[in-house]
Amino acid sequence: MTISLNYIFKRLILAFCVVVGVLVFSYVLILATPGDPAVKWAGNPRGPGAVKAIQLAREELGLDKPIYVQIAVFMYNFFTGNLGYCIAYKGQHVVQVMITSFMSTFELTLLAYVISVPLALYLGLYSALKRGGIFDNIVQSASVVLASTPTYWLATLLLLVFTILKISVYGTASPRLIAETGFNTITGSYLLDSVLQGNMQVFVDSFLRMIPPALAISIYPIGALTRLVRVLVAKSLLEDYVKASIALGVERGTIIRYFVVRSIIPSLVQVSGLSFTYSLIDAMVVEAVFGRRGLGSLLIGALNTADFKIAVTLIAFIAIFYIFVNTLVDILQALIDPRVRL
Amino acid sequence: MIQRLSTTLNRSFKKTRFKIGLAISLLVIFLAIFAPYIVPRPQEGLGYVPYDAEAKKLLPPSTEYLFGTDLLGRDLFSRVIMGARTALLQVSIVVIVSLLLGLLLGVMAAYFKGLIEVLLNYFTEIFMAMPTIVIALVLRLTLGHGIHVTALSLILTWWAWYARISYVYARGVVELDYVILAKLAGLHSFKIIYRHVILNIIQPLIVQAITDLGSVLLEAAAINFLGLGVQPGYPEWGVILYEGVFYGGGVEVFTRAPWLIVFPGLFLLLTTLGFSLLGDCLREEIDPQLRRRWHLWF
Amino acid sequence: MVLAIVMENLKVGYIIEDEVFWAVKGVDLVVEEGTTLCIIGESGCGKSTLASAITGILPPYALTDGKLKLYDRIVISGQLRNYSDVRGKITAYIPQNPGTSLNPFLTVEDHFYYVLKSNFKSSRDFSKKIAIEILSKVNLNSSVLEKYPHELSGGMQQRVVIALALATNAQILVADEPTSFIDAYLRLQIIELLGRLQRELKKTLIVITHDLLTTSIICDYIAIMYAGKVVEIGPREKVLRNPRHPYTKMLLETTPILGAKKQLKPIPGEPPSLSKEYQACLFLDRCPYKNRECHSDPQVQVIENSHYSKCWKAREAPWL
Repeated sequence: MTISLNYIFKRLILAFCVVVGVLVFSYVLILATPGDPAVKWAGNPRGPGAVKAIQLAREELGLDKPIYVQIAVFMYNFFTGNLGYCIAYKGQHVVQVMITSFMSTFELTLLAYVISVPLALYLGLYSALKRGGIFDNIVQSASVVLASTPTYWLATLLLLVFTILKISVYGTASPRLIAETGFNTITGSYLLDSVLQGNMQVFVDSFLRMIPPALAISIYPIGALTRLVRVLVAKSLLEDYVKASIALGVERGTIIRYFVVRSIIPSLVQVSGLSFTYSLIDAMVVEAVFGRRGLGSLLIGALNTADFKIAVTLIAFIAIFYIFVNTLVDILQALIDPRVRL
Repeated sequence: MIQRLSTTLNRSFKKTRFKIGLAISLLVIFLAIFAPYIVPRPQEGLGYVPYDAEAKKLLPPSTEYLFGTDLLGRDLFSRVIMGARTALLQVSIVVIVSLLLGLLLGVMAAYFKGLIEVLLNYFTEIFMAMPTIVIALVLRLTLGHGIHVTALSLILTWWAWYARISYVYARGVVELDYVILAKLAGLHSFKIIYRHVILNIIQPLIVQAITDLGSVLLEAAAINFLGLGVQPGYPEWGVILYEGVFYGGGVEVFTRAPWLIVFPGLFLLLTTLGFSLLGDCLREEIDPQLRRRWHLWF
Repeated sequence: MVLAIVMENLKVGYIIEDEVFWAVKGVDLVVEEGTTLCIIGESGCGKSTLASAITGILPPYALTDGKLKLYDRIVISGQLRNYSDVRGKITAYIPQNPGTSLNPFLTVEDHFYYVLKSNFKSSRDFSKKIAIEILSKVNLNSSVLEKYPHELSGGMQQRVVIALALATNAQILVADEPTSFIDAYLRLQIIELLGRLQRELKKTLIVITHDLLTTSIICDYIAIMYAGKVVEIGPREKVLRNPRHPYTKMLLETTPILGAKKQLKPIPGEPPSLSKEYQACLFLDRCPYKNRECHSDPQVQVIENSHYSKCWKAREAPWL
């Protein structure tokens, strides 16, 4: 599998250009939406410290300088992580808040995908093999219904059910446990942090609490990926090389396990990657429902405290993650698909 | 083109899924149009609180109040049924505007090529990367409550999607012989050439738009669900959920009054399902690839 | 004389949207073990279907009738088909388009491994050894083993595909238009290769083709197919010099021969539709020698030992 550095290089340059465009647009949002940019950036402060806060914001944005300098400064600050303090979570750096919240949402979405991808593979494969049968019809109908269900609604229903059953699933981890065992957040990912601190109780507790929201989030990828796998498997079975291999005596099990599955992996990886970023946003809303820490709670916090800074930075952050995943998936495609000649 | 439409519809009618999807969609459209006339308490549907509100808060479903009452004593049934109107309005405006905008830009980029093409691809990449919900947050912080926040944030992201697919489809058509001939024959009038190109791609685009109605609805409801769009009290399914889960409600509230979340969500699911089934069936019919015979060796 | 293939009134049709299209309308054929038979005909005459029937790759929506026997195994009997232990064990298929018939995700070595594992349960090392041996028989270096199909040229791909068929050690090899995806100057090479392998390994080779010229070099017998039926079959020299069916004669006249100045006469008209049933001779519309008796389907006329023709005028042959 030959891969040329030229291709990777080109993709990275392209990605960088798009990132620059995102940051420029974010800055435009600061300037173009109604209101004084400095006041917005300071978070609409009231009271005694207001004037000072606005003055600080004016300096941070460099509003007295020409526009291209402003944009350059903004981008520089973004890349060096120098974005000031967060209003929603008082006293913490914006960048730190972003990263810890992101880690929490990321681990939740990851769990959802660990559940959904193998399940979708299994369901899609067997419904394609038994095409037209009862299994296929049930899976197909279920996929459409699942894909049409609002994730946040399902999340609320799950929360309802578990609360009625007196099982505690709200929040990221039990506050009592945290207090008792002295748990600290380092990366933002509770699973990771608890392992790093050797705190198994919090690990188990936070893992269990992750399951209902992860189930809610996995509804969309299960629906979408199952349909994808089904179509891919059917297409793969029509290929000439499957016909030729059968004629040479290759067994059915071998063909399914090695030929068919291997051939759908590139497309599956690509679509999964793209839908992961979509699910991340889904996860934000689910987090808000379950009261978990993460980008969702950050969003709600920013709304309640009028933290404009976080809002704009969040746009840029998520957009950059999306571009990053896209580029990664493209490069991965080139690596694992021998037909892509570079 | 009209002939193709009727054969497509004919074939679609044979499938049960299509019939179900069409039935649901028509029902929703019917409710949207006639809601204020068929609903028992249209004023409460619009958000007005009844006089004897105190006594009526959070009543469970009964013959009086089919879906129960909400946190402020309003008839949930009225609110939800009238929500169909808001849902369809939101969704159609967003899709139509995004479609037109994206179509125009995409076709221009494919036809004129060069700088416009590069710029369009660049901007499409940028806007498709941005999360609608966070854009809604920014708009909410600067523009306040309102359905325009939801609509605007959705249009800002979805135009890029339609621009991208219009561009891809148009690219295929622009290379067709008769379009090149039209150009060579000196047909300066852009309109004529646009008609060639646009008419060709309008059918798959409309089918895509129908399929997208469901996704747009879910996203719009999500924005309202987080309190970023319409104000509480408005007849909108997402915001009714917002009231139940965040605004005045919370876990304790909706565990005792589950009807607050069951009914609006159910309507969201059904409406999205209806549009998705419709769109899926149509798409299967017009996509030549999907209509191929599947013969499997096992 | 052992018969490798026996067909008795074999019919094969395809069910498409509630209608049946009969691609093969009743073929009686025998092939001796260790000989080469070329089946020649124009597109749509059913020769590929015949190849699929022998090698066991008829799709699930195919309908059969009659009998097909391979050695002593009955694979098709009426509507029933049973190919267990036939594919890869008794028959091996050399596909038409080697580019798409090789799995793009596997190296050549992997291909051999999966084929040999399924047929002989061999290990990776063993299959590698066998692969090198067989590749040398088709004039390919062992360096080919680690390559992916798209890294090979068309001629190399075709030879890999032939080697895979040989690796199964099946007695009956069916080559479906082996030269149609090969550049002109390589066609002769591939055909000669096939011929040489057949003689060396004493296989029974069936070559399906529309290219009369190149393939006739290696045939022992030639069968001419038209509209789902075999209209003439016989030893090579006899069929080529003494054709006993008007279609054969006209086919020969359309084939250009390098160096010979001759007028190429295309055959007017088109083959009949596959879906209708005919009582008359299927060649009736295009035949310049027809008369009244041709309104009933011709019986088999024996010309000589193992030379048969389905034409009422076979014995007189007014075209010679």
